[in-house]
Amino acid sequence: MPEYKSKPYSHVVRILLILITVGVVGVAVRAMVLPKSFGQYGHYRGTAIEDEMNRPIRNGTNASCLACHPYIREMHMEGVHKTVSCEFCHGPVADHVKDGKVIAGLPKKQGKEIKRLCLRCHNQIIRARPKESIKMISMPQHLEQKHVRVDHNCNQCHNVHAPLMWVKEARAIVGVGEDNR
Amino acid sequence: MIRAIEKEISQDRRAFIKKVLGGTIAGSLLLVIPAGAVDLTGIPEQIPGMRGDTAPFITKKKFAFIVDITRCIGCGSCCVADKNEYKVPDGMYRTWVERYVIDDEDNVYVDSPNGGLDGYQEPREDIPHPTRDTFFVPKLCNMCEHPSCVQVCPVGATYQTEDGFVLVDSKRCVACGYCVQACPYSVRFINPETKTADKCTWCYHRVRKGLLPACVNVCPVQARKFGDLNDKDSEVYNILHQPHVVSVLKPGMGNKPALHYVGLRREVV
Repeated sequence: MPEYKSKPYSHVVRILLILITVGVVGVAVRAMVLPKSFGQYGHYRGTAIEDEMNRPIRNGTNASCLACHPYIREMHMEGVHKTVSCEFCHGPVADHVKDGKVIAGLPKKQGKEIKRLCLRCHNQIIRARPKESIKMISMPQHLEQKHVRVDHNCNQCHNVHAPLMWVKEARAIVGVGEDNR
Repeated sequence: MIRAIEKEISQDRRAFIKKVLGGTIAGSLLLVIPAGAVDLTGIPEQIPGMRGDTAPFITKKKFAFIVDITRCIGCGSCCVADKNEYKVPDGMYRTWVERYVIDDEDNVYVDSPNGGLDGYQEPREDIPHPTRDTFFVPKLCNMCEHPSCVQVCPVGATYQTEDGFVLVDSKRCVACGYCVQACPYSVRFINPETKTADKCTWCYHRVRKGLLPACVNVCPVQARKFGDLNDKDSEVYNILHQPHVVSVLKPGMGNKPALHYVGLRREVV
């Protein structure tokens, strides 16, 4: 039997020491690296909820737009387009008003852009649209049927905010019914 | 003495001019600024009782999201609102609208040009057989009860709050993309601007401030519904507790989504 200088269990002590050191260093580094609120509610940063909660709101509601545009409100809320969002066509209110002050104007669709916007919902050729949800028309048959030029734009007969407003007014003046138009 | 009086008069003049100028500017500003311009905090609550509640979790309400595909007209209002709300980079979609076309031979064709952001202007013309059925399916985060994305996140950046919202902590996310792969509904993406994982949050920040999610708020045909299941008079409660054709996407995955679809067809994946 050769004689060893070290004790028979010294390798075990060495391994244990290394493991403990690694453990202590690991725990210390973890504590330094992890944010304070990590693990407050679960395996995530607790203050992340607050961060998400405080994300800026960019879209308002129709109420936020119509509060300052009473003339449009009158038209919009009486027409069949009352469920259409202002911000869908004009852009988010955050680009328009900040801290109660107007910072920039929002775009108004013009010319053929309007037609494109109308047909986005009302185009009969896209058959996927349920009839219960929306009234559809085919172009240019609709224009031919109404005896107007085929290059007419939608907003020449239909007010975009209240599509039937002018149509109804015209009918009231001329006294024509739905059938003999 | 005279000099002192002159000084006083000139000071008075200065003050007078200042006041007049100030008044004029203020007056003209009043004309420019519409009276009662709505601050975002001044908007009436759409979900009552949410404002002023700063507790970390919503305890009184249990939210559910319902998409009624029998109503959706594929206008893409929801996609536009969503892009505006989050300034979502081009080519990335937190929510999108798919068009399904089923032909006579029962072949299914699905497309979603630009996620439905530009709407659907043209019919599909590449289908050889006559169309039997066609409809739109809006997609968004399913807010799973057992979210795969949370399970796989190695850094605790994706988490589920106690009230059921699955959110992303962009400060912790390392964009490893595990969650993007794990999501059975493909709602996640790596945001090229923040370089972190991103996805629909059901507009958590709006909901906590008493506003409906941006997409629900703009939907012109009420195809998207959001509400409280603890309120037995709410529309979502009634839809989920009365006879309706209601289903979830990929029920076999076991994720138990909180997003329900009314009128879902078996062809939808």
